Parts: sequence; C-alpha cells; structure tokens
Amino acid sequence: MHKNFQALSLLVMLSLILAACAPATAPAANAPAATEPSVPEATQPLAATEPSVPAGPKVLITNFLSGDVATLDPAVSQDVNSTQIAQEAFIGMTNLNEVTNLVEPGMATSWDVVNNDDGSQTITLHLRNDVPWVRWNGAEVETVKTCDGSAARIVNANDFAYGIYRNQLPANASPYAYLLGFVLKGASDFSTGKTDDFSTVGVKVIDDFTLEMTFIDQVAYNLEIAGLWVALAQPKWIIEGDCDGAVQARGERWIEPGFFQSYGPFTLKEWVHDDYISIVKNPFWPGTEEIPQPKLDEVVFHMLDEPAQLAEYEAGNADMVSSPPLSDLDRIKADPVLSKELSVSPQFCTYYYGFNTKAPVVNDVRVRRALSMAVDRQSLIDNVTKGGQEPAQWFARPGLAGSPTMADHPDLGIKYDPEAAKAELQSYLDEKGVTADSLDLSLMYNTSTGHQAIAEAIQQMWKDVLGVNVKLVNQEFRVYLDTVQSKNTPQIWRLGWCLDYPDANNFDRENNAVNGSQNPAENGEPYGGFNWKNEEYERLVLAAAKESDPAKRVELYAQAEEIAIVDDAIMIPLYWYTNLDLTKPYVVRTYSSDGKESFEKWDILPH
Amino acid sequence: MGRYIVRRLLYMFVVILVVSVITFLLMHAVPGGPFTQEKALPEETIRLLNERYHLDDPLYVQYLSYLYAVFIPHFTATPPSPSYQDDFMLNLKIGDLWIRWMNFGPSYGSRGRTVNDIFRDNLPISAQLGVMALLVALLIGMPLGIMAALKQNTFLDYLGMGAAIIGVSVPVIVLGPIMIWIFGIALKWLPPTGWDAKPPFFLGFLPTKLGWEFVQHALMPSVALGLGSSAVIARLTRAALLQTIREDYIRTARSKGLHERTIITRHALKNSLIPVVTVLGPLFAALVTGTFVTELIFGIPGMGKYFVTSITNRDYPVIMGTILLYAVFLVLANLIVDILYAYLDPRIRYD
Amino acid sequence: MSVESKSIGAGGMPLTQKRVSLRQDALRRLIRNRAAVVGSSIIILLLLMAVFAPLIAVKPFDAQVLVDQNKVPEWLVSIFPTMRSYAKFSIEYPLGADYVGRDLFSRIVYGARVSLTVAFIGPLISLFIGVIYGSISGYFGGRVDDIMMRIVDILYAFPTLLFIILLMAFFRSTLSDIQPGTIEYAINQLDESVGGMFFIFIGIGLTAWQNMARLTRAQVLSAREKEFIEAAHTIGASNLRIMFRHILPNIAGPLIVAETLAIPGYIATEAFLSFIGLGVNPPTPSWGSMISDGSRAIRTYPNQAIFPALALAITMFAFNFLGDGLRDALDPRLRGTQ
Repeated sequence: MHKNFQALSLLVMLSLILAACAPATAPAANAPAATEPSVPEATQPLAATEPSVPAGPKVLITNFLSGDVATLDPAVSQDVNSTQIAQEAFIGMTNLNEVTNLVEPGMATSWDVVNNDDGSQTITLHLRNDVPWVRWNGAEVETVKTCDGSAARIVNANDFAYGIYRNQLPANASPYAYLLGFVLKGASDFSTGKTDDFSTVGVKVIDDFTLEMTFIDQVAYNLEIAGLWVALAQPKWIIEGDCDGAVQARGERWIEPGFFQSYGPFTLKEWVHDDYISIVKNPFWPGTEEIPQPKLDEVVFHMLDEPAQLAEYEAGNADMVSSPPLSDLDRIKADPVLSKELSVSPQFCTYYYGFNTKAPVVNDVRVRRALSMAVDRQSLIDNVTKGGQEPAQWFARPGLAGSPTMADHPDLGIKYDPEAAKAELQSYLDEKGVTADSLDLSLMYNTSTGHQAIAEAIQQMWKDVLGVNVKLVNQEFRVYLDTVQSKNTPQIWRLGWCLDYPDANNFDRENNAVNGSQNPAENGEPYGGFNWKNEEYERLVLAAAKESDPAKRVELYAQAEEIAIVDDAIMIPLYWYTNLDLTKPYVVRTYSSDGKESFEKWDILPH
Repeated sequence: MGRYIVRRLLYMFVVILVVSVITFLLMHAVPGGPFTQEKALPEETIRLLNERYHLDDPLYVQYLSYLYAVFIPHFTATPPSPSYQDDFMLNLKIGDLWIRWMNFGPSYGSRGRTVNDIFRDNLPISAQLGVMALLVALLIGMPLGIMAALKQNTFLDYLGMGAAIIGVSVPVIVLGPIMIWIFGIALKWLPPTGWDAKPPFFLGFLPTKLGWEFVQHALMPSVALGLGSSAVIARLTRAALLQTIREDYIRTARSKGLHERTIITRHALKNSLIPVVTVLGPLFAALVTGTFVTELIFGIPGMGKYFVTSITNRDYPVIMGTILLYAVFLVLANLIVDILYAYLDPRIRYD
Repeated sequence: MSVESKSIGAGGMPLTQKRVSLRQDALRRLIRNRAAVVGSSIIILLLLMAVFAPLIAVKPFDAQVLVDQNKVPEWLVSIFPTMRSYAKFSIEYPLGADYVGRDLFSRIVYGARVSLTVAFIGPLISLFIGVIYGSISGYFGGRVDDIMMRIVDILYAFPTLLFIILLMAFFRSTLSDIQPGTIEYAINQLDESVGGMFFIFIGIGLTAWQNMARLTRAQVLSAREKEFIEAAHTIGASNLRIMFRHILPNIAGPLIVAETLAIPGYIATEAFLSFIGLGVNPPTPSWGSMISDGSRAIRTYPNQAIFPALALAITMFAFNFLGDGLRDALDPRLRGTQ
C-alpha cells in the first residue's frame, strides 16, 4: 500500500525531492542580488550590498516588451530592443542626439566632407584612439587583451570597416543591409552578391584611426546613416577566431554573455533569454561631452507584457516603464502619484490608413479625400488612442530633418472637415448615380485589439459623416502583411511607419515612392500597396534628398506631401506617435524621440 | 512488459514521423513568411534570408534534410563548434568519434539562437511550472473529491464540488491579473511577476536553488494554472471513490467489522486512484504546453509562448520543434501512465 | 487488447431487460439531483436570454458612443471604491460601457449566443464524428481498430492552431479575389453569417472528437462482449442493427455525461482563440473576446472583464453541474447509498 503511494508521489514530486539535494549556491557567474531589489536579504546570503543604501550600486530596472530580444549583434539588428542595447554597448562614428536628432561627434571626433565632381561625396572620419574593447568576465568589466596579452585592444578604423563588412555580407542576410546599400558607394552590389570584392565598397581604412567613406549622392543624411547601428565597430577576433586558435571563433554566437565584447558606455552583463538583459557600466569608456561616463552602474531590462510591466512598476520593483495599457491611463491620470510620474514625449512614427488607388470605388480621388477629411483625428486621439498623440496632417512627422512643422505649415495636408468631405463624396455619388450606403468599401487591419478599436471608431465616423458602411476585415498579422503588399491589396488598409534615421527621406521616399516599402513595383510599375505613381512626387522627393539648403528641403517635402496627402490622397494620415513613460521621481533622465534611450545620461538620486 | 514498452516506443517514432510530415506541409501552406514584417524588407534581402536558411530549396529537400538533421545520428571526427548550424541536443564522445544527434535547427526570430537553445533554456521552466501546477491540482482536487464522495449529496459534497468547479470556470486571463492585483500590488505579499530559476539548471531541468523565494514566485502562477485541473482531479476522485466504496470487497471489509477509516484509507483510496493516475499524463502534458496565457500574464520565461508565437511568427524550425516535442511528450506521458497503471492495478498485465 | 480500452471502459453496462424502467429511473434521479436541476435551469435561462437577446438588451451591442467610453454605473463604486477618483458615471449602462462606448450588458447578453452556440455545436460535431468513428473501431476490432486508433493518436498531437490559422488565411482573405459561386466564397459567407464562429467550430471539431472516439470505442468493446449482443448475433441481426438498436442505446449514458462535462472545455477554447486574436469577428460580441479585452485593464475598469467572466463562469458552472448530475443519474453503479 505504502509502496503504491510512493509510486504516485514519485511521478509528481520527483523534481522536488531531487531539487532538495541540489547545491544551494548559484554559480559564481550569476548576478548578485542587486538586480532584484524585491528579493529579501535573508534569502540571498551571498549578496554583498543592500540596494536601498545610497552608497550601493545604482541599478535601474526597466522593461522591454514580452518576448526575447532578437539579437545583440548590431550588424543584423532591426528591432528597437536590439538597437537599444547596441546604442549603449557600441557608439557610432557619428552620434545622433536622442533628443534633438542632430548629428554630433561619436567615436569620430571630427570629419571632413568633400563633394566630388561626379556627384558623390567623400567623408573622412577621424576616430578616437583611447577607447578599449571590454567584456564582462563574470565579476567585473575588463579590457580585452591582444594575443600576447600585453595591451588592451583599442577600437580602430579596421573594426569599423569590419562592422560595415559584416552588415553587408550576403551570407549574413542582414535585414538592414539596404540602409547602407542606398547611400554607400558599391555597397548594394556587394550586399546582393553581384561582386564579392569588398574593396569595391566605398569604405577605406586610411590609418588605424582614420576611415574614409564614399557616398553615392551628396545628400543630407549620409552622416546620419554613418552613425547608425549598421556601421558600428565589431570584434573580428571573437567572431572569426584569432591568436592561432587561442580565441575560438564564435560565429554568430559571439553575442552571448561571457563572449560579448563592446566598447560603449555600457557592456553586456547578463542575458537570460525571454527573461531579462542587464548591461553594466564600462569604466573604460573615457566619457565625452556628448556621451558621458554613465552615472548608473547597471540597467536591467525585463521582458514583460504591458500589464505585467505596470504591475511591477506599481509594486515598486521597476524604476521606469513604457506604454502603460491604454485603459489604465484614466486611472493613472487621476492618481495623485502616478499622474506626476507620467510623461508624454514625441516618438517618430506615423499611423496611417493607406488606399489601394487602383481598387474599385477608392480609385476615385474624391472618395479617398472624402474618407480622409471625414476622420476626426482629435476625437480619435482623445477617445481611443488616448496617449496624447498629435493629429497627423501629413506623413513625414515634424521633427525629422526636412519635414515641415505645424508652426511654419499650419494648413499643409489634410484636416477634419465634415462639410468638405460630404461635398466631395456627393460629387462622386452624383456622377455615378449611386447612394452613399450602397458603396462597397472594406477596411482591412491585422488582428489586434488596438487596431480594432481604431478601425471601429473610424468606421463609425465614416457612417456618421458620410453615411457609408465600410466593412471591417481582419487578418492574422503575417497573412495581413502579405496581403497589403500583394496584387490583391485591399481598398483601405492600416500600417505604421517609424524612423530608421531622422530624415524626411526615410518617410516620404522610402515608404511612398515607387518601389518604396509600401508601393511595391515591377519594372517601375507599382502593383500593390498604394499602387500609385506620380512623376511629380518622384521628382520632388529626389530633389529634396539632394538639396543642401535646409529651408528649401522643407519646401520641397511640403510640396511632395501636398501631392500625396491632398491632391492624390493616397493615404489617411491619422496620428503621430508619442512615448508614454512612467518614471519614478528619483530618476533623472532624458527623453528620446527615436525609441532608444541614452542611459549614460540618466541617474538615480538617493531615495 | 519490456516488449510492450519497446513496441510503444517504436510506435511513438511512427507517430512523430507522421506528425512531422503534416506539420511541415501545413506550416508551409500558411500564407505569410517568416520574413514578412510591418516594414517590408527589400526583395533582395528576402532572397538572401531564404538562401541562408535553405528556404529556396524544394520542399521535399527541406523536409528530408530536416529529418536527417533531427532523426539520424551523425558520426563525425570533428568536435562540436559554437556555430548555430552545429547545435545538436546529444553530443557523445567515444574515442575519437563524436556521435551527435538531434539538431532542430536555428530560430529565425533570434539570430544565433537555436531550437535546442530554447529547449534547454525555456522548457525546464515550463516543466517546473507544470509540476507545481499539477501539485496544486492534486493538493486541492484530491481532498475535495474525497470529501465530496464520502459525504455524497450533502452540503459538503455540493460545497466541495462547487469550489472545484469555480476553479475551472474562472479563466486564467481574469484570475491572473486579479491575483497580481491583490497579492502582488495591494498586499505586497508576493512578487507580481517573474520566475526564480534560470539556466543553467540542475540535471538540465531543476532549479539550482530551491527555497522560499522559488515558492514565492511560483505560488500565483501555479495556482492560476493548476486550479482548472484541480476540478478535473476532484471530479474524478469523487466518482472513482463513489464507485469503489460500492464494490464487494469493501462490503466484505465492512462486514469483517473493519473501522470505516481503515476501509477508506487502506482499501478504497488506492483503487480509486487508478482513474486519477490515468489523467495525470495528458494533464501534465496539457499543463506544460498550455502555459501560454499564464506565462504572458506572470512574465515567466517558459516555453509556452513558443507554441503560439512560433506559429504567428512563422518561425518554421521552432514550429516543428515545439510540435514534435509536444507529440513526444504526450506519447511518453501516456506510456508512463500506462506503466504506472499496471503497477497500481495488478489485474492489468501488458502482453 | 490495448491499454486505452482498459483505462476507460473498465466498467460494465446496465442490463437490458430493465432498459425502459432504467430510463425512468434515471430521469427520476436526475430530477431529484439538486445540482442537475439548478444546472439545467440556468442553461434554459441562458438559452432564453440568447434567443430573446434583442428584447432583453435594450441597447444595440455594436453601437459606439465614444464619449461614453468606459463609463460605469454609480453602484459599482461601492464594490470598487478606487474607481471614485477617475470613473465617469452614467446610469444608462447597467454594467458600464466598454473601451469604445458600447453597452457591456448588451454585449454580454448577445455574447451568450456565441458561447451557447459553441456549447451546443461543439458536442454535436464531437458526438457525430467521435461516436461513428469510435463505434466502427470498437465494433470491428482487430486490424481496423488498430489502424483507426493509431490515426486518433496522431491527430491527438496535431497542430490545431496551425490548421486554424491556415484555414482562416485561406478563407478570410480579401473579398476581391473571391468570386461568388466558389467554395471559398460560400465558406466565407457562412463564416460571416455566424460572426466568424465557423473556424472556432472547426478548431473545436478537430480537437474534441478524438476523446469521444476513444470513449465510444472502449464502451463498444465492452458492450459487444455482453450476452444480449451475442444473442442478437445468433438471431441473425445485421451489424448496423446491432449497433444502433442494441449497443448505442446502452452506451449512450456515459457518452452524454462525458460530452456534457467537455462543454466547459469548448467554451474555454473559444475564449483562448479570442485571446490570441483568432476568435469571432468584431463587432460580434463573445465573452472570450470581452474578457481578453477587459483583462488588460482589470485594475482600472474591473467590470469590463469581471462581468463577462462571471457570465462565462455561470455557464460553465451550469454545464458542470448538469454533467455531474447526469452522471450520478445515468450510471447505476453510483446509485444513491441513501
């Protein structure tokens, strides 16, 4: 009898019995208790410090969204979480100020720009010579030594050239190889395999601390792209092996803790997949005017769903969280404490509804314009999205280089105008001899509560203002993305666009123009997405890219926007995004507009 | 018995093979590829990505090379390298020869990470959560079921079964956030989210330190996950016990004048355990693989989300890996249950 | 003999000569069983609510009044006092309004249609396929049985979610490339007419019938060994006749009980599919989708998740009670000791 009970308990309790015999201490490489401030001291006998003592390490706890960070390898990064870590662990030759979005010195202290006669541009970058490669060795940050162990490896021009090489290497199939491919001479041929000779690419190491880059066009954003994550220095020795085999080649798996090497203000300490990443202060970062030595000792990013993030924040376990769930905003705004900790700052993204301009009904510009003018964007923001977003009158958000601003172009683009909307639609209806409610229109979005709420609200507005019944169709995300770029692009569809680099070119040309992201074309003829070609628009965005006078660029982009948004009404710009953050009052911080924070400028005050 | 187990294991292999064919064909039939994203990639990049992961090969070639990598043991003289393409689950060194088996391939979503990595890092956490939830289910379900059976059709019966049914009726989606609210934020008794165990694991799947802290983190998610199953256990226990106490040998025991308590604990309970044991296998499999919602709400870095996200992300190797894992798990769990079942009920003999 | 039959079909069946009186007896015991009576009364009430939804819910379930979003009735504050500081009040909405200003009460009333349809269609699919499959397998036994059960085992480990996404992708694509008259069009129309529930049925159908098939097979296996079946054979009754006249009526009890107890599982499946975004089409209300929408802000507007959850819980409660009651009534081995 007893034997049988044991058999049962064996099945369910095996692990517990075994675990009780397990060693009580964690491996030495594990994090000290400081990463988990909620942990009671008594259960962490190995902990050396107490988090609340002001003299202890300053650890900032924050969050990424649920799901593992895709990669820490900047050469193949594409999502905001991966590039956030890259931003802190590696510094580009140029640096984009996270608040002003202006180019400032990064690893390069200065640069010379030469416009060549053939229309190309050569930029010679002079790099710092005092930044060593570092790694976390399980106990502290140490410099990476050369093969003979005598000196630290110093970041040099070869490392940057290697970083660009890895980003462009076809075998790596980097999602963002095309960014450099657009601008860097010869890069596109190399990255698509037309040549395997990297010396044809416009990157030349002049000496250890001088790199020369040759760009195809004399455009304003060359220097911005040279500072992006696609052009960072990379440690060749750990990736490909070095020192006659003493350093093992890690290939793509050099990004795991213990192998990861970097040189920026922070370096990787721990990465527990799907759980958290922590980055630790690099004491060997010299600290510059633009990128100071961090005041924080460590930043921990937990990977949690939004409601879980907010719960941790309210329980006092997190110092900063982003995008609290929308419905919680009412409570947060009314709460005397939380409301003071809530901040709204601009984010460089645009949410829009696109038209397939060749699909039935919406192939008439009057219908498109009527639908666009019938949307009360402010009401949408106040009642549905709630995050203090700005009503979008055009596509390339103000604040980008080259973009018009609301101050200098208050009437550019499109606004809520129910009367004009009715008139436009009426003229179409009269011509076709049909009634508004008989129009066969459908709006497609990918399955998600947020998109659904917006779609349902706009469906109602169209019904109220125009009397049209627009059918809502939703598809699972990946299926949807295939659909809205196929030859069967639905009449109306939703998408959002966020910046890669802060220039209107990244929006107006790279999304809307023929062969743009949302205007796929075959032999120069669009077949899906907007399904739209306007020679004047193409001419304007190209001219704007090459224009060097900032004021003239704004005018050119303003004209282009007027064509896309009003004259041809290929999309309904809905709103410009905002960042909603909750930050504890003892955190000193900056507010980034590109989604990547610069934690080296943050601090935690004694509390 | 030995022959029976061997036959079942062979049969498992057939099941796995068929499941792999179906899954492979299905996932490639679903529209939307792994590299489709909101900001569309240039066609050239997609071509390179397809080339990199051999998605440009004919489907049958892809399938056969998958089978080769996963099922066929590789004998080689070269030691394992850190390459993401060279990550086998099993690496045995015999003399100069390496025997390497089960390479489930890379994850498309995480560069440099493999399906084996996910199995190694995330599966143990889901298994721990599953065991804890099963414990909760048994600890709540069995006493309730026994009580309800012994006091059949009384107030206690209704109360017990009512409580169990409430457990199964409240979805984790609601129960989880409410528990976090009450115990995590308002009372601050328990940490709202997280799991206190991380790789490397003891014996590959056990937390390296097991203490109050582990229990603290595990308490809410295990209850949320296990409560639903406790109703199943309670109902089964009740029904089985009701049936057993009407059997002849119990009557015999009664007529022998044995104490009622002795009759229940020594005779009735043992036999009424049989049906309970039979569901433990499928229940455990369901608990380990059905953790998606629980993991999302409580921020647990387990495997459950991969069952859903691999499909929504079209991460083909992860889809194959998780579904094959699920199949193996289910078949093995049933096998173990059948063996245990034979042990509990001497009337059952295999072969 | 394989293992499954032993694990499930361990029990014997009632004797046939008492069949009629047995049924009456079962009904009598069912009515005496308070839980079952309560359960079935609730289900009848829910059914009435679903059928007469337009009369009960005064407001339409899909009308959005954006300015009224998240409004709550004042009495809620006495339960959730923290609401006082931020909630906007309105007596128009008995249980509050949702995040786009739709009446929660109306949506819950109409939502009963989805959950109850799932609760009744699920068992129909599962019984139809499972019982036919299981009885063929069990009745013929031997090689047929072996192969059929192996297929069930494989389907057991089958990626249902993948299959549902696949079907949805095929049928819920742009309307422009689907021509009237094709199968895709017909299925799309069907799906739309039931508010997108069609694929939920497919999902449930795919997963649910295997258990039923196993149970049926086990029951048939044990039933066909009985003397009265042998007797039927000797008098030359056909296989079909034996199956339908003699075996099925005798094993119906356990099957019905098992199916009733499986219903909460189907309802939960709908809720899960809604949670991962594969549920009914908006604006069709379903408790599952309401719960998953509401749960994200459960601390701010608990009413938006708790009331649909309550409706779901009551329904599942009722089916569970009914199932338990049915079992006690139909299984003579559990006949009351009192």
